[in-house]
Amino acid sequence: MSALLRPRRPYDPWWMLAPTLALLAVFFFWPVAFAAWRSLYEWDLLTPPRFVGLRNYASLVESGLLGRALATTLAFSVVVVIGSSALGLGLAVALNRPGRFASVVRGAIFSAYVVSWVSVALLFLWILDADAGVANAALAAVGGPRIRWLSDPSVALYALAGVTIWKIAGYAMVLFLAGLQDVPRALLEAAALDGATPWRRFWRVTWPLLRPTAAFVVTTSLIASFQVFDVVRVMTQGGPVHATMVLVYAVYEEIFQNLRVGRASALVVVFFLLLLGLTALQLRVWRARSAR
Amino acid sequence: MRHAGAAPATRRRWLAGVTAAAGAAWLGACGRPGAAPAGRAAASLWFTYGGRNRATLEELVARFNASQPDFWIRAVFQGDYFEGLAKLRTAIAARADPGLSHVVGEVIPYLAEAGALRSLAGLPGARELDLVAALGQSGSWRGGADRPLVALPFNRSTPIAYLNQAVFDEHGLRAPESWAELRESARALTRREGGRTVRYGFGCPVDWWFWVALVGQAGGEVIEPDGAVTLGGDAGVRAVELWQRLVTEDASMKPPPGRDYNAWEATNQDFLAGRTAMIWTSTAFLRYLEENARFPVRAAPLPRDVRHAVPTGGTHWILPARGPDAERAAAWAFLRWMHEPAQAADWATRTGYIPVTHGAIARLEAQGFYTAHPNDRVALRQLDVALPWPWAPALFRVQREIVQPRLERAVLASGSARELLEEARGIARRELG
Repeated sequence: MSALLRPRRPYDPWWMLAPTLALLAVFFFWPVAFAAWRSLYEWDLLTPPRFVGLRNYASLVESGLLGRALATTLAFSVVVVIGSSALGLGLAVALNRPGRFASVVRGAIFSAYVVSWVSVALLFLWILDADAGVANAALAAVGGPRIRWLSDPSVALYALAGVTIWKIAGYAMVLFLAGLQDVPRALLEAAALDGATPWRRFWRVTWPLLRPTAAFVVTTSLIASFQVFDVVRVMTQGGPVHATMVLVYAVYEEIFQNLRVGRASALVVVFFLLLLGLTALQLRVWRARSAR
Repeated sequence: MRHAGAAPATRRRWLAGVTAAAGAAWLGACGRPGAAPAGRAAASLWFTYGGRNRATLEELVARFNASQPDFWIRAVFQGDYFEGLAKLRTAIAARADPGLSHVVGEVIPYLAEAGALRSLAGLPGARELDLVAALGQSGSWRGGADRPLVALPFNRSTPIAYLNQAVFDEHGLRAPESWAELRESARALTRREGGRTVRYGFGCPVDWWFWVALVGQAGGEVIEPDGAVTLGGDAGVRAVELWQRLVTEDASMKPPPGRDYNAWEATNQDFLAGRTAMIWTSTAFLRYLEENARFPVRAAPLPRDVRHAVPTGGTHWILPARGPDAERAAAWAFLRWMHEPAQAADWATRTGYIPVTHGAIARLEAQGFYTAHPNDRVALRQLDVALPWPWAPALFRVQREIVQPRLERAVLASGSARELLEEARGIARRELG
């Protein structure tokens, strides 16, 4: 490297990164490493840890907890990501217009995103009450069935997913609105002059230009849905019959309620590897797309 | 004319002022709330109630602090029982034990065997506290009297039945005294309109504590005296099947949504809103339900199957083993004060928990309290049929990991009670030995 290209103060970037790196080391790398180490022990915080090798991982598999929690989390994530992205896109397209009314509606929809999870969960506890809730009252008014939203094991997870979609759809909508602002009007007008229907204009012009936004929305909602905790904690506590036992709640229950630090740590390691894999996959897709 | 640089300088000064003020406020907020006055020995009390019980305890603590010049108790709220236990355990692991706390009975053997509890036996007056045996360590656990004293009763309870007296009168029904009467009453009290249930006859959290009551009533024991985890054998199955019939066959019991104390709260709210005519829950909610119901509330003992039986519940005082020595004197002075008849009676009458000393009960009898409040006598009378818990360190694991999830599966997903309990016994044998 020539002397001209050699940085005169090569350590400066590291100094600037140091505060962030220190925080990451203390609050992220060290806890993950500690969890990986503790996952090899049976430990309840009170009695001395006992080395058990990979038995915690085996026990997670044998007891079915890992498989159940993974399947539940994946099912939840798929519904939330598809639901919130589709709803956010639909709302953005519908509300991408000038006028006071549209801006009020946009603000109202986005406001759900900034309300705390606990408040939203408490509100929906009331709405989804099987006997006194608004949801079943509305269903009954149109002759619909009475649904045990939160106490029927086959329904509860989707009820929570619905609550999550309601809360985060506003966030997706705002991102899609920003994406829509970047679509050149000239292209849409040219397509209209060529006789393209509104649907063909959306599908052939708008959607291809919205893809990067969609990828961002999907990525962020996927990560958010994998980390779901508050709504489960407040509304179902993992029940009924473990139907809403998502990974993060399973970690909480293992460590704080069942007093099994080793097994909880093993779950954390699996969760970490899963998110790492997902992130790597997404990066790969992004890079491949960018290269094209 | 304003100088061009004046605005940023002013803004900087303003920002610096705001930052300094915020910093000072933050530092001030970091100061310990309720710090002890100079010259007093202080102790932290970690407690786990909300609502009315919290207000009552905090008022008692304030009274203790005002009643004498030597000690100071600092009460710190730590969430519900399970959250409080998690925090306590974390504090113990971090060697930051509080001076005083209270925990549910199921975990006392586990904490004691882990060496996390300080023995109370040597503390002055510990053996002269005049405790009601069924509520103290000696009667709450089999062989509890033969072990070092590590727990003193605090908020002790039994499950009881709460009836909406107006609805019972309307139907000409009395409190059910047997399982068969329970089913009949629940069916009769359930009201449906247009295919929708507007009132259930019966409500009860699908929770281990109530299942243990049912197992006892069916003549079984969850853990036998020799330590074998039988889960009540046939009695355990009968207990689950009763719930299954009430929920599925009769559709007269509302299984509340949520788990743990969320389900308990949902049960209370359904009762108060008139959505259930009769519930089983802890005597701890007696005052709360009486004061918030818009109908007369009547308490009744739980019905029998082959016998009357209830478990005791609630929490016991403990001194964590590594709690600061400096806090021990204040903590112990507070415990002795709380066991005096006036305070023990006050705590019980303002919450619904059972008075834990004979002195408190005698005081209330003398004041005519039980004549004026017959509902309060129900739990007290049930102590005659209270079953002691086994002194089993693994009891809470049996509860949380093995039985509770299967109860939910059996009742809410209609699994086979026999198969699920057989599976639970197998896991208990494998994991607990």
